Amino acid sequence: EQVVSKENSCLDAAKACNLNDTCKKYRSAYITPCTSSMSNEVCNKRKCHKALRQFFDKVPPKHSYGMLFCSCRDVACSERRRQTIVPVCSYDDKEKPNCLYLQKFCKTNYICRSRLADFLTNCQSEPRSISGCLKENYADCLLAYSGLIGTVMTPNYIESHSLRVAPWCECTNSGNDIEECQKFLNFFKENICLRNSIQAFGNGTDVWIQ
Amino acid sequence: KMGKDRRRKNRNCVLKEIHLNVTDLDLGYETKEELIFRYCSGSCNTPETNYDQILKNLVRSKKLVNDKVKQACCRPIAFDDDLSFLDDRLVYHTLKQHSAKKCGCI
Repeated sequence: EQVVSKENSCLDAAKACNLNDTCKKYRSAYITPCTSSMSNEVCNKRKCHKALRQFFDKVPPKHSYGMLFCSCRDVACSERRRQTIVPVCSYDDKEKPNCLYLQKFCKTNYICRSRLADFLTNCQSEPRSISGCLKENYADCLLAYSGLIGTVMTPNYIESHSLRVAPWCECTNSGNDIEECQKFLNFFKENICLRNSIQAFGNGTDVWIQ
Repeated sequence: KMGKDRRRKNRNCVLKEIHLNVTDLDLGYETKEELIFRYCSGSCNTPETNYDQILKNLVRSKKLVNDKVKQACCRPIAFDDDLSFLDDRLVYHTLKQHSAKKCGCI
């Protein structure tokens, strides 16, 4: 029989982060620019993105993934998980661009271009493999996914009850390219490899990362 | 020899730490997050500067009877990095200069 659990693994990860000097330092180093309002903007998005990239570059995965890929059973936990990247600054925007337009924009930037390529390579699904991944390497998929945070392609959880993620874009006004657009967007939203990678980390079953 | 003496001075003034809930700080935040709070503790009886020595001498010779002159205190001379946390309403807060990094008799 399952005992009703009050544990919140996202909260536990946040606690662990603030008790670690490196994680604490880089966490506040991105929360400060991501929550400081500018003259008439919510924040300085460029500075927020830069600090987020630093956080994922410098903080050991045990802590950074702990907060981003924690496993949840209730809304308090999953809402906290959704807030990890301070979406009001790093994710949300006034308008949602078309995903193919966003992809083109990403490719004009060196960091975004290479990190998107890594993601498309390392998180490729393969339904016939046990892992769900063509590359059979969850660690590489999570590294590639977290590498997108702090680029214009910054992804986040789109619902509190699932592990579905997407960048801030949509496929309306795609014209003839609607299929290509949906294929790109679904690489984020309906990706078995990525979902299994996140789940494996959350359950602590992935031997590659622990 | 001098350097050795200097290091021994006020060796009681040290950095200590305690593991707390953010709510223990009593700053009005509602959150379940935690922190390590570091603080300075210990006595500063040994004069570090000529100023301290002179004060001590003047008090002893009763030339400064009416003034409330204070000897050095064990205080932070540098602060720890900022601390950020998410509160129960999903709002982020950042505390600055809340925790000591280095202590001194000042």
